[in-house]
Amino acid sequence: MANPLLEAPSKSSPETAIDLSQQASTFITSQSSWLSAIPYPLSLFINTESQEKWQTYENLFLACLRTGDDNTAYACLESLTDRFGKGNDRVVALQGLYKEATAKNESELAEVLREYEEMLKSDPTIFSIRKRRAAVLRSMGKTSDAVTALTNLLDQSPTDAEAWSELGDLYLTQGSYDQAIFSFEEVLLIMPYSWNMQARLGEVLYLASGRTEGGDQMKILSESMRRFCRSLELCDDYLRGHYGLKLVTTRLLEVLSTSKKPQQSSSDPVRGDLAPPSVDAVKKLNELATSKLAEIVRRSNSGEKGWDGYSAAEIIAARELLDRDTQKIER
Amino acid sequence: MAEAQQILRDPALFYWILLPITVVMVLTGILRHYLSTLLQSAPKRQPLAKLREQRSLLRSANLRTNYAQISASAFQKRREWLIENARDGKFLADPDARGKGKPNPMSDPAMMEGMMGMMKGNVAMMVPQSLIMGWINAFFSGYVIMKLPFPLTPQFKQMLQAGVGTRDLDVRWVSSLSWYFLTLFGLQPVYNFILGSNNAANQVTQQMAQSQMGANPMGGAEDPEKLFNAEAENLEVIEHYYILDGVEDRLLERFQGAI
Amino acid sequence: MLDERELATRPIVQDSVQHNARTVSNIRALTASLFGVAAGTLGLESIPGFIFYALGTAVVSVLIFAFKAESEPKAYFYRPMADLWAGDMFGGLMSFVLTWTLFYNLAKA
Repeated sequence: MANPLLEAPSKSSPETAIDLSQQASTFITSQSSWLSAIPYPLSLFINTESQEKWQTYENLFLACLRTGDDNTAYACLESLTDRFGKGNDRVVALQGLYKEATAKNESELAEVLREYEEMLKSDPTIFSIRKRRAAVLRSMGKTSDAVTALTNLLDQSPTDAEAWSELGDLYLTQGSYDQAIFSFEEVLLIMPYSWNMQARLGEVLYLASGRTEGGDQMKILSESMRRFCRSLELCDDYLRGHYGLKLVTTRLLEVLSTSKKPQQSSSDPVRGDLAPPSVDAVKKLNELATSKLAEIVRRSNSGEKGWDGYSAAEIIAARELLDRDTQKIER
Repeated sequence: MAEAQQILRDPALFYWILLPITVVMVLTGILRHYLSTLLQSAPKRQPLAKLREQRSLLRSANLRTNYAQISASAFQKRREWLIENARDGKFLADPDARGKGKPNPMSDPAMMEGMMGMMKGNVAMMVPQSLIMGWINAFFSGYVIMKLPFPLTPQFKQMLQAGVGTRDLDVRWVSSLSWYFLTLFGLQPVYNFILGSNNAANQVTQQMAQSQMGANPMGGAEDPEKLFNAEAENLEVIEHYYILDGVEDRLLERFQGAI
Repeated sequence: MLDERELATRPIVQDSVQHNARTVSNIRALTASLFGVAAGTLGLESIPGFIFYALGTAVVSVLIFAFKAESEPKAYFYRPMADLWAGDMFGGLMSFVLTWTLFYNLAKA
């Protein structure tokens, strides 16, 4: 398994975050060994910096903030500022993040927001601060303001995948499924091989299908199923992909069996939509997803090497989904 | 010609010539790498409008490459929107400058920066090399230093036996300049080890990269309006296919064994 | 080149390709210099020396194939013939010649 210190913080579970923040103080003292204290001329020959050193610092910082260890977080922030200077975009954003995380009430948050606006007035190209501003607006509950802020950002910089996916998330919380789908499609245009995005889009489509009826619902459900298939094509063992596939195929089987209208058996050439899949294919996909999920649960629980990359929460959710099936059969 | 020509050499030759030259070469390589890293100027901030223009261009390029990820209707919507805005010039940084043609590379300050950077890099390469060559010619010329294990054609005699007076000497006996050349080419992997693969002392790859880039640097910045029009045209001719078409069959085929 | 659609369905990750190429390159350079040392101390001359290098590189290639690529070159390299077996000959050759010359002279004197 990859070094958890190097993984993106959003991927790590809360337990990992606690682990990391406990290791934090030992890590920091290890960095200030005698090697790095060698005076200037000799230090040219010894390279104590590695590619991952500062990424580790940043991840540690975030993990400490997550677990509430503000002091260590501040120490990490200090080291980062020393190395990269106060004017560096990322450092400024991290400092803002620290203030947000340690803000005790609404007014302090509003203060942070005001600071961001000041910074942006003098230099509107600091995109990291613009993103932080949108995040603060979201955490303050001003969703529509956050949406506006992000849309402006994206008008200026339409190739920012992170901003598009955050916007998609925001739309989802507001319930505007169409716009959410649009935003996630934009992310896919920028990063076509990201299987997690394909699965996410599948999830959004599945949610959107709950609102529609009949032929439309069939269309959306089949597209959702295909999105999950694509994410599995790109990454064999993606648990969320299998989970989603199982959910969608179960629902699709219900819809296909209860639909009375004659099926559209060929693609609609005018709108270019795809035909719904055959019942056979859906059944097989359902079986595939179920068996894969069972395999993942089994292997990950027995702690086999190479199968321990799944978080505990995922495994529990997968097992619950599988149990739902067995309960139905029992009844 | 006689069979193997034997020349007795003083072992001290090695300690005083071969090793010093090697050490100097390695050190200059490292020095060059650090020098070029230090001389690199930080990327300049660009004004917001220019950023927007560049990234909109990128967005259209993304759509052109990755159109298969979205459905035909979604693609259609985006295509129409982009083409319309590109033609109208809604993305341009400087809408008033339309139709004025390419900016002159000499007058555009951004281009100057790019060219200066390249020249600095070249200078950092050339100067140490010529210096060392001069140093070797000054101190280490006039005698042969070693014997190459493999034979070469007589044309090389001129280059490799630079200061030696005799004419009949086998090409395999060479002067210190040839050792310089050998180390010049042969130390690339050593630099890769010490400095990591992104090092600036990598001469061969640099020369290759330069010859490929040859046409471009003097071309100057393109007129953005023309670029957008070109993108719009490219978008118009795309025939859309949807990658989700048949994906379930592909997936089932792949997982045949697992079910 | 692969068909464009095939490429879309089974993409080639640029990072991995570079990493693999770099690993092969490092291995070759290292082993080439070691072979140079051996050839020099053995006192091998022109043609036998190069044959020694060719043999040695072939052995190293087989080892890379067996241990590193786990006998499945297609999974690691896009064009196994060109990349694995004949990869980065030039860099390796230069290291070989360098160390060969050095040790040949040290040994002969």
